[in-house]
Amino acid sequence: MYKRWLWPGFAFPGVLWLILLFVVPFYVVVAVAFGTVDPILLQPVPIWNPLQWNVGWMIEVLHRFSPGGTFYGVAIRTLEYVAASLALCLLIGYPVAYYVARHAGRLKGLLLILIVLPLWISYMMRMLAWVNLLAPDGYVNRFLTYTHVLSQPRDWLGGQPSTVVFALVYGYIPYLILPLFAALDRIERSHLEAARDLGASPWSAFRHVTLPLSKTGILGGAVLITLPMFGDYYTPNIVSGAPKTSMIGNQIDLYFHGGPQPTIGAAITVLLAAFLTVLMAYYMWTIHRASRELPAV
Amino acid sequence: MTMHPRERHNQLSRRDFLVRAAGAAAALSGGGAMLAGCSSSTTAPASTTKKGELLGPGGLPLARPDKRVTLPLWEDPIASGLQPETGGTFTVFNYPAYLYKKLLKDFGKKYKVDVQYTSFDNISSGVQRLASGAVTPDVMEMTPDMLDLAVAGKLIKPLNLDYIPNLKKNVWPELVSPFYDVGSHYTVPYTCYATGIAWRTDKVKQDIAGMTQPWDIFWESQAYKGKVALLSEPRETIAMALLRKGHLNINTEDPKLINQAVADLKELNAICNIKVDDVQYQTIPEGTSWLHQAWSGDMIAAYIYYLPKGTPATALGYWKAEKGKVPIQNDCFSICKTTTKPVLSHLFLNFLLDNGVSYSNFVDFNGYQPPLNEIDPNTLVAKGVVPHNLANSVLTNADFGADSLQEMTLTQRGQQLWENGYSDFQAGTK
Repeated sequence: MYKRWLWPGFAFPGVLWLILLFVVPFYVVVAVAFGTVDPILLQPVPIWNPLQWNVGWMIEVLHRFSPGGTFYGVAIRTLEYVAASLALCLLIGYPVAYYVARHAGRLKGLLLILIVLPLWISYMMRMLAWVNLLAPDGYVNRFLTYTHVLSQPRDWLGGQPSTVVFALVYGYIPYLILPLFAALDRIERSHLEAARDLGASPWSAFRHVTLPLSKTGILGGAVLITLPMFGDYYTPNIVSGAPKTSMIGNQIDLYFHGGPQPTIGAAITVLLAAFLTVLMAYYMWTIHRASRELPAV
Repeated sequence: MTMHPRERHNQLSRRDFLVRAAGAAAALSGGGAMLAGCSSSTTAPASTTKKGELLGPGGLPLARPDKRVTLPLWEDPIASGLQPETGGTFTVFNYPAYLYKKLLKDFGKKYKVDVQYTSFDNISSGVQRLASGAVTPDVMEMTPDMLDLAVAGKLIKPLNLDYIPNLKKNVWPELVSPFYDVGSHYTVPYTCYATGIAWRTDKVKQDIAGMTQPWDIFWESQAYKGKVALLSEPRETIAMALLRKGHLNINTEDPKLINQAVADLKELNAICNIKVDDVQYQTIPEGTSWLHQAWSGDMIAAYIYYLPKGTPATALGYWKAEKGKVPIQNDCFSICKTTTKPVLSHLFLNFLLDNGVSYSNFVDFNGYQPPLNEIDPNTLVAKGVVPHNLANSVLTNADFGADSLQEMTLTQRGQQLWENGYSDFQAGTK
């Protein structure tokens, strides 16, 4: 009996943590999304029993997500920003992770510290620092005009989509590099040597060995950065402030910010979570398959 | 590949995954059928009087400048002649950096209490936090448009004006017994301001004040793309678009008018890549914004605190419409139901209305003008507190009255309309 419960018991703190800080709060959001609003205080009144749920808010939000609805354009824009940021993160992050994992030698530790270093400063502070750097007379414009890359200063903070994407990349890229590095660092050199011995070119060895074996790292990193990016609202607020560059997180923020319809904010949150669950499920399935295949390698 | 028997049941092929996903989808759609049996409501019913007049939260009448409302007392005020409580903590609940901390220290020293300042992001979330019990302040900032809600929810306590003699002695007559709280049953005024346009005179070439409809400047601001912003406030932005088209009812609940105003606001995305924020007191003097919808107090604060050295005061411009066409507001202070020091709370309200205290809060810290008899534009310009070109950002008693415009409480349905309209604008689509 004792042995039977010993090892599962180690999972207890984690399970308890998840129940208290994820499952229960998330169910509260669901109960608010399917709840009502106090007519006097305009506070959300959650409905805990699914059989009594008020589906009106969810139907309204679904309607507004459909083409032509209020949320349709902002949802598409969010998808575009996240996809562009993810692609840029991969384009920049993969070579960095590859270099650190395979060629950094003694500098590996130092480079890892440098990658993690920005995370020691709060995200908000880093973004605010960029506001100064990207100002019309900031260092970025001064450098680009000095080097004649730009003929005149660019209005980076004037509500530019490129600035929002750049800020998302800057803010989240360390979270992509770390799992990528871990995946690349785990690849046995002997696999690559075997590929080369069998006549594969460096590119072919990368394409047929390194890339497939780092797939879990790519997906892990991608999941790690896309989930918070989808809910991000402060990055576009800080570096843009224009409705034209707002993301779906800004709508959640708006409705949760003391207005008369917090239920709409909760309903958007639930729908976003459902959408992200699909991405997460694909990741879990890939990990599961990879772990099954690993002993066969 | 060998596998432990207990692991086998976890195998999941791509086919299994797809099959299960399809199953889940089917289950969810079945769930949809189940949910079809649930209730479905989003739009609040609008309550009305027998005469068809709209009612606010708790069935209270909706106050308007030309419709004075006496709020019911949900309990008796405290008795007169009581001694103030001493010791412990006295909590003030307010916007961040909206009250001079030195004055709070002075108050604490005088009455031997430790004064604590707790802040909220906006008044709606502040009232909601008070209602939920997340905070237990003694006094809090209040706005007239939230007053019905706070009274109907019994969140603030009735006042005994015997403890607040400065109200009648120092405050503008229009706000001693204001239309939204006749008899000052629950509030005393704190600051006042108008909503207008702030701009950099060295960047914006048009004569905004001389335009037939100055609000049009936002729709003629192609040259200032990326440097133009509106207040990040649903009521202020939509009200501005209504006023531009000559609709003076800025408390309308007519969906057609609100939708048209939102459609007009959305044009600004293409015209000037409009931005929304509430930091105009900083961005205008620093020159990162050139044209901004702004409160009058912002420009006074901009001049006193944020104007960089070497930039003349004449670089700041401010316009507000004439009385009856300009949205004006006043903030208030109330005593919270959670107070443990009701007598001291009354004395704090009286303290805020003291001429010296109020003036110091205005010119040494806040920039937002208190509605006091002692303060008038000429005196402030003569003292150098406000530069001559910003004298129009100072309000007077004459700006208030039955023919003034104030954003006031809406019905729940009205609030939904305005919030959804602002959401549409905020989405940044065509």
